[in-house]
Amino acid sequence: MKNLLLALSAALCGVAFAAPATLAQDKTINIAGFGAKSGVVRSFGVNSEAAMLAAADVINKAGGVKLADGSKAKLAVEFYDDRCNAEEGISVARRIYGTNAVVAVGPTCSNVAEPLFGVLQKKIDDASDSGMQMPIFTDVAIKVGLAKISQWAFRNVPNEMTMYNSLYYWLKTKYPQAQTIFGGVEEDFAHSRATWYLVQKTRAEAAGFKVAGEAKWLLNDTNFATQVREMKKANADVVAISAHPFTTCGVLKEMARQGVKPKVLVGLTSSSSLETLQGCAKQAEGMIIPTSFAPVNKEAQNAAQVTAKFKGAADLHSMAAWENMFILKQVMDAAKLSGKPGDLQADRRKVRDGLASLKTTNGLLGVTKRDEEGEADKPYLFVHASKGEWKVLHNPL
Amino acid sequence: MLDLLQSISDGVLYGATYALIGIGFTLVFGVMHKINMSYAAASVGGAYAGLLVVKAVAASAPPWLIFLGSVLAGGMLGWVVYVACFHFIPLANPLATLMSTVGMLLLIDEVIVHGTDGMPLGFPALFDDVMIRFGEFTLRGDLLLVFGISVLGMVGLLLLLYRTRLGLATRAVSQQPVAAQLCGIRLVRVNALTFVITGLLGGLAGAMIGASVGTLSPLLTTPLTVKGLIVTVIGGLGSIPGAIIAGLLVGGLENVFQLYRGVTERDLYVMLLLFVFLVFRPGGLFAAKTGRD
Repeated sequence: MKNLLLALSAALCGVAFAAPATLAQDKTINIAGFGAKSGVVRSFGVNSEAAMLAAADVINKAGGVKLADGSKAKLAVEFYDDRCNAEEGISVARRIYGTNAVVAVGPTCSNVAEPLFGVLQKKIDDASDSGMQMPIFTDVAIKVGLAKISQWAFRNVPNEMTMYNSLYYWLKTKYPQAQTIFGGVEEDFAHSRATWYLVQKTRAEAAGFKVAGEAKWLLNDTNFATQVREMKKANADVVAISAHPFTTCGVLKEMARQGVKPKVLVGLTSSSSLETLQGCAKQAEGMIIPTSFAPVNKEAQNAAQVTAKFKGAADLHSMAAWENMFILKQVMDAAKLSGKPGDLQADRRKVRDGLASLKTTNGLLGVTKRDEEGEADKPYLFVHASKGEWKVLHNPL
Repeated sequence: MLDLLQSISDGVLYGATYALIGIGFTLVFGVMHKINMSYAAASVGGAYAGLLVVKAVAASAPPWLIFLGSVLAGGMLGWVVYVACFHFIPLANPLATLMSTVGMLLLIDEVIVHGTDGMPLGFPALFDDVMIRFGEFTLRGDLLLVFGISVLGMVGLLLLLYRTRLGLATRAVSQQPVAAQLCGIRLVRVNALTFVITGLLGGLAGAMIGASVGTLSPLLTTPLTVKGLIVTVIGGLGSIPGAIIAGLLVGGLENVFQLYRGVTERDLYVMLLLFVFLVFRPGGLFAAKTGRD
């Protein structure tokens, strides 16, 4: 018994003395993720978190990131829930600002991103601006033109203007007989609304389509009979639904009931997800959506598989979070971070400057161009719903 | 004119689901003089539970089995709501139960969101591809069925209330709880059964809403709670016929407002309607014949 106690004590002492040495080797660089993990857009946050954790795991297994002193540090990811709520998002960002995270990846919703970018320092080195000085690298919030709000804000989201422009020109060549378009818009959701009025409508007109009418509904609506009757009366060749999966499915089902069968059905970028297929695969059959992700090559397939191990689904949003992690690794390796708590703000600045200096990045579908406002011009392709899956219809690049 | 008729008929048919939700609110208020804010969420929760459980047992289960599962799950949730929000909470404090049911609403909402990651789930419908046509005028087959089942549910409830001993006890507790207790009626049992019955009806409402929308989503809970409360107030707190008529009325008017004023102003007019009732007829359509003061 005495011997056993002695052995245990020796083992404990060994562990106690060995621990600091082990900890000294395990340097970590913290990256905060934030997005909606509750509420109706919870799946976005869940998938982004899974993709970030999966990417960090891959990076860490390959050695991690290089620090200024030549040592390596592992990436640690902590994800926060902002409930897709602007106030909550700002509060979460302030909380992250108080931690030792060098960069934050998020948020999910444009209605969070817009005000949140507003509380960041607008221009770097502006002593009169006391806004938060922490780089935010957005993966999901997609509303056009948000990164220009602050020089600390960067995005790796698809450029809807480019994608829909390309889509409508392609549709015009593929369906030359199609002349008119009818828009259905989720009026009370920032992204859906902006995508119809600022992007799809203008791009369709530029491509030669005549807008035959518009119908509006709200995010929580359940009855679309009146709107679909307007759609039926317009008898347009193309119907564009700028709405998220719940109301997209409601409208598609009502269209099926009322026998509205346009030549072409176009959907919102964010609806090229599993949610739409779970809600209404049959009615969505044939719907065309431009997207910045599809598992079309080995790298993309691998990213999807690794993310699945962390219980996340791969889609254009979560795979942007995956890409963000690898872009950040590239930036951190080049920027030579200190990784010491006392140098946190300097490290944040290095990450910001690194992100700002990027002209291109490598994404899962190819090279992404980056502009001076912090926005990305990602490669994209057109997918369509076919037999309960999103399949690649056309690769315009 | 055709558009107007079509809008009214669509709205009235869909309004049957509002009526079912309104009945749940009004029945609990009639018996316990309390508002159960979690009722619509529990109704949607019942539909979710019915769908998920029945699908887990038999993936290709027919819609009627899922409806039945939803009704039973709704009943169970009703009992859970009673135990959690009313049984152990001092009923003398009106705010206590109000807040506990608001908490339950949020809890059920989040349980649904976490259980499904907020993803909409397809809910089966019967006759969803049937359209009855009278020239340009159409009636949705699935909504007609929803309307019919809802009416049957309401008739069943009225029979239960006015043709059974349980109904007699419920009405007695509703009118004078102390006297009812003195007559040997077990107050706790009647209250709990009221919640189970309204829960069963809620499960039916949830299933009918799921069937008419074709999809279940946590997005349904808040608007249904608001609509249910509006229907309850317009119909008259505690009045079942009032809730039925107000449900159909709100459904129809909502569509008319949308037709003429657009979707962004629609809810504004529904709220205005509520204020009109609160000011000029605070007791609702079926107000008791007493002065407003």
